[in-house]
Amino acid sequence: MNNVYLPITVDHIARVEGKGGVEILVSDDGVKEVRLNIIEGPRFFEAITLGKKLDEALAVYPRICSFCSAAHKLTAVEAAEKAIGFTPREEIQALREVLYIGDMIESHALHLYLLVLPDYVGYSNPLKMVDEHKKEIGIALDLKNLGSWMIDELGSRAIHQENAVLGGFGKLPGKATLELMKKRLQETLPKAEYTFELFSKLEQYGEVEGPITHLAVKPRNDVYGIYGDYISASDGNEFPSEAYREHIKEFVVEHSFAKHSHYHGKPFMVGAISRVVNHADKLYGKAKELYEAHKDLLRPTNPFANNLAQALELVYFTERAIDLIDEALAKWPIRPRDEVEIKDGFGVSTTEAPRGILVYALEVRDGKVAYADIITPTAFNLAMMEQHVRMMAEKHYNDDPERLKYLAEMVVRAYDPCISCSVHVARL
Amino acid sequence: MENGKVRIGFYALTSCYGCQLQFAMMDEILQLLPHAEIVCWYMIERNSYEEEPVDIAFIEGSVSTEEEVELVKKIRENAKIVVAVGSCAVHGGVQSWEKDKPLEELWKTVYGDGKVKFEPKMAEPVSKYIKVDYNIYGCPPEKKDFLYAIGTFLVGSWPEDIDYPVCLECRLNGYPCVLIEKGEPCLGPITRAGCDARCPNYGIACIGCRGAIGYDVAWFDSLARVFKEKGLTKEEILERMKIFNAHNPKLEEMVEKIFQEVKE
Repeated sequence: MNNVYLPITVDHIARVEGKGGVEILVSDDGVKEVRLNIIEGPRFFEAITLGKKLDEALAVYPRICSFCSAAHKLTAVEAAEKAIGFTPREEIQALREVLYIGDMIESHALHLYLLVLPDYVGYSNPLKMVDEHKKEIGIALDLKNLGSWMIDELGSRAIHQENAVLGGFGKLPGKATLELMKKRLQETLPKAEYTFELFSKLEQYGEVEGPITHLAVKPRNDVYGIYGDYISASDGNEFPSEAYREHIKEFVVEHSFAKHSHYHGKPFMVGAISRVVNHADKLYGKAKELYEAHKDLLRPTNPFANNLAQALELVYFTERAIDLIDEALAKWPIRPRDEVEIKDGFGVSTTEAPRGILVYALEVRDGKVAYADIITPTAFNLAMMEQHVRMMAEKHYNDDPERLKYLAEMVVRAYDPCISCSVHVARL
Repeated sequence: MENGKVRIGFYALTSCYGCQLQFAMMDEILQLLPHAEIVCWYMIERNSYEEEPVDIAFIEGSVSTEEEVELVKKIRENAKIVVAVGSCAVHGGVQSWEKDKPLEELWKTVYGDGKVKFEPKMAEPVSKYIKVDYNIYGCPPEKKDFLYAIGTFLVGSWPEDIDYPVCLECRLNGYPCVLIEKGEPCLGPITRAGCDARCPNYGIACIGCRGAIGYDVAWFDSLARVFKEKGLTKEEILERMKIFNAHNPKLEEMVEKIFQEVKE
């Protein structure tokens, strides 16, 4: 007799961005099925922006997600600029990257300290850690405040930036603000290094050890970073961003408002660890040293390494932002915006959002959006995430269900999923 | 209240989680903790209980699935004060932009023939289903909006609503007028203030993220006339005003009126 037992479920996974659950079906033969239920409602971003004026659509896209709204804004703006045949000046590009880095620092700090760390120190809620882990909470707030202040200054506000526009910026901060930004980045660097040290000591569960295919945007100019026009895979393959549909296939699954994706027929991973795995040779500075010393922990075969890879990036991007600000200051004074002519065309932008590859493909006709395709990192990751939760479940389905739920949630949290992003974006 | 602590719940419907993020990112939240007990807040608390009674329920997001209709009703039953937080909860959010298109059409554009086991519906504001006691506006709300509302509740008083437009704050700050001086379609004149004219400060036209001013003082018609004189079509005006006001019952008829006026 082959019994099927009540599913082990977490209806609403806490401490992730968005609303999703895990369902593990167990029978006498072991784990039958694992499903990540994505239950947040659809928002149809591609559909609602069709036929809309380009600037209005660009104001709406960042509303897909709060944790990475700057990533959405800047990727959408780049796709639109490629479509209309405009290339921003180098100094504008550098400052946009600083804005993007602000998002990266804020997002990584929030994820690592507020969402992940409580599991490792035995708290259900990061705010309860204040008394016992005062130092960590202090560092988390400092990093988060630095990131959100950078976004605020360059983007007009910490969530849903309106200041990044076609042709450049609405307004730029003064030279003194950029100097202050450099100073604050320098002061915060030791806190980023402390974060790396802290996370290098946390367990990376062996249950989910195994081969993973990683995809990441190949950074421009051979410097580890955010923008790029090619996607590289850890299997050695490389293809231009515009060809993403030839290599990555999306499909609808019935338990999720977010679609799943396969690369050459198989699940794959994107995110900080994928960037590190594919492009560690392009790191420099302190991050390069840390990488060399801890390669074994930043390995390609375990999703938990994503947490440490984010900590490594806190160090890297803090240093990188300082250099980018210097590049911009060398060209001071900077005109914030160039006139753009809204011509017809098609453009694809691929960038590295905090959680991995973000794709925007936009077609512009008569000043309006004629086609929009957006694929977010979490949508890319869902299939792989399910596979890793399954690996965890196969080792623990006979244990206390509460223990299994906890471990399954930790796997999901290591991916830093952004469920709001994943729902409602993706077009056939 | 138990042990003198206010019981708080923060619930998410369909949204970007930005309102909660804004709330969670306030350093002042640490000062709130000794006075509050977080009963439900999935974004930061693993031990969250959706069906427990609370003093104040903050709801973010639009009602976009049948499950969320049931959830808001349960929250109302269990809460003394219900606060709708942010443009999605208060006005249905940007996902309501095409609310007049059939849901099937939007679904097909994004999901093709794919099916899921949950029941989606067109986004709607929370107040469509339950009584809302107070609104916090914005996409996202300003941190001071949260501080003001919570601070006022904690001292046992009631926060006041804002009934004047972004223009007022913009004039007080002395920013160049985006509408008149730059000629861009700024929605400042009809949009609820409280952001300190954030976007006009950057030389960027307001897109109305805090929603239209209430109390029937959002003069869509006057602004539509100005936009019309600048050469915008009725459709363009409606589309822009609808980004954050798709569910406003007055919007269409007031804009329509301007296009029926006889040319002088």
